[in-house]
Amino acid sequence: MDARRLPTGLVFASAAADASAERIAAPGWSLDETRGRLVELSGHAALTLAFGLVLDAQRRDEPIAWISSRASHFFPPDAAAGGVDLDALPVVRVDGAAVARAADQLGRSGAFGLLVLDLGGQDVPPPLVARLAGIARAHDATVLCLTEPAFAPARGDRAGRELGSRLGSLVSLRIATRRRRDREGFVCELRAVKDKRRAPGWVYEDACRGPAGT
Amino acid sequence: MGRPEHEPARRPAAASSMAIACADVPALPLSIAPPAIEGVVAALAELLRRFSPAVEPAAGEPGTFWLDASGLARLFPSPAGWARAIHAALAAAGHTAYVAVGWSRFGVYAAARSRPRGGVLLLADAEAERRAARRVALARLGIDDEARVALERLGVRTVAELVRLPAAGIQRRFGAAIYRLHRLATGVDAPPLAPASPPAPFVAALELDDPEPDRERLGFLLKRLLDPLLGRLATRGLALAALHVGLRIGRSPPSARPLEWSLRPAAPTLDAVQLMGLVRLRLERLAVERGVVAVRLLVDGVPATRTQLELFAVPPRRDPAAAARALARVRAAFGEDAVVRARAGSGHLPEASFAWEPIDRPRAQPRPRAIAPRPIVRRVLAAPLALPPRPRREPDGWMPRGAAGGAVVHLDGPFVLSGGWWRREIERDYYFAELRGGAVLWLYYDRVRRTWFLHGEVA
Repeated sequence: MDARRLPTGLVFASAAADASAERIAAPGWSLDETRGRLVELSGHAALTLAFGLVLDAQRRDEPIAWISSRASHFFPPDAAAGGVDLDALPVVRVDGAAVARAADQLGRSGAFGLLVLDLGGQDVPPPLVARLAGIARAHDATVLCLTEPAFAPARGDRAGRELGSRLGSLVSLRIATRRRRDREGFVCELRAVKDKRRAPGWVYEDACRGPAGT
Repeated sequence: MGRPEHEPARRPAAASSMAIACADVPALPLSIAPPAIEGVVAALAELLRRFSPAVEPAAGEPGTFWLDASGLARLFPSPAGWARAIHAALAAAGHTAYVAVGWSRFGVYAAARSRPRGGVLLLADAEAERRAARRVALARLGIDDEARVALERLGVRTVAELVRLPAAGIQRRFGAAIYRLHRLATGVDAPPLAPASPPAPFVAALELDDPEPDRERLGFLLKRLLDPLLGRLATRGLALAALHVGLRIGRSPPSARPLEWSLRPAAPTLDAVQLMGLVRLRLERLAVERGVVAVRLLVDGVPATRTQLELFAVPPRRDPAAAARALARVRAAFGEDAVVRARAGSGHLPEASFAWEPIDRPRAQPRPRAIAPRPIVRRVLAAPLALPPRPRREPDGWMPRGAAGGAVVHLDGPFVLSGGWWRREIERDYYFAELRGGAVLWLYYDRVRRTWFLHGEVA
């Protein structure tokens, strides 16, 4: 391969099976971007994009742990169909309020390069958020939290107002995701709403296919 | 050195609205190995930051950069003057470059890449940029050879011919790369500039409670600061090329400059012993009798060779034994069935298509597969949630999640699953219900129980 030029031009990395490509996730959405950071991911494409990062971690041989509640979790056949090696993905299933505590236990070991916390609507106490942020920094790991946006209580006829991050100001990278249809299928898009390392507003897109029938 | 610009400041009003520039340095030496290219790209990005605060190195194309051209009117006489200054700076650094200033990311990129022999191009307006971009041959844009040949067989050789292709089917026929190029060229995708922030400097500092006049103790203090810096360098694959030391001497006036000195090892290194030897030799020549009250170290890093990293003896990045111990602690705290992995099941119902299997430790070497495009991953409820019965009349539409979730705007289905007659008859009509707010719910109607259930969500 020519050392000067890689094959894709403007493309923010191709997901094609290129044996010479070291990464699946594009710059802007890869462990290079999230390493050492507490990252919050929310929106309608959060789970799919989170698995993009899982794939990147598996390609780099970074140990991963996925922590979620027993009541709700990712659908494993979809993850496997996307190329994830499920045998190399330990899943910790606990009661919803214990997700962050379990992540704290695992993160302190420094043995995981990517910890995914599927928090749903759970709030995390600020001291625990601070510890998770510290774990990410200390061990050069990615602590990725999947959240549902927080809303202020509805008043009368007014719908609740979105308050933003559930995890507060210690989040280093906060990302909003959405999914849209196009002629080819779906496009999962993420937009950096807050980024402590570079200017927010950057975007990453991944073409995906929906479940059979959509 | 440069070719004359096409539109030198004849239209200052239009030119002041120009948003973006692309600097292409196509001729990075072939002899540079890929790891060293990162250093060259970083150095070029640093050079270009003198001309714009927002510089984005192109991902996957070393030598191509986007710069934010807006807001510089008070610093440069004109966009043409700005572009010429960039070109001159790159030439002074020994690079042949082409600088295009225009209106859109793809437009300036295509224009810059179309002129490999260097120069400056100012695109008068968006229409001129569009025309220039569409004339560009696809072979100039660094696309995959296989895709380029496949396009040429259809007579598609330029950007203009590419954008005339219908979007549907491009990804399937030519791959995701060409599909994205098509979207960029047609303007469907117009990602904002994503500037890379300058790399964080490797700095360590220490304030002392009492002035320290002893050179030996000072040496230990400097070593205490230097060791973690070397560790950070090694983590980033860098070696120390220069060490800059600042010492603030006690009882100096506040305006006094600290004692500053630099030292360079014979070759970039991570060897703390060698570096501290140099530091101590320098300390012996300094007048520190009044005592040092503050110390600051700044390190210049360059890409390290494998040998340098091995000499530093960086410990294994992740310890599998520590991971196993951590998982054991989690099992102890949350139950033996808390740590599991997913196994494929043989059932056709969604909940029977997988099972959770307790594990002690995961597979050591992951074996992910490259799949394109990836499927969207659904979220599934461990126990499907029964929904309220649908009212006979729904003036505002069906709202499975209540008013907060919005009404269903699109329904795909039914997809019928049935079976289990030998144990418990199951008849489910599955649907994907898209809500006004954007969520897509995974629902089913249980014909036996005559109830709607929420099974999950497309996420």
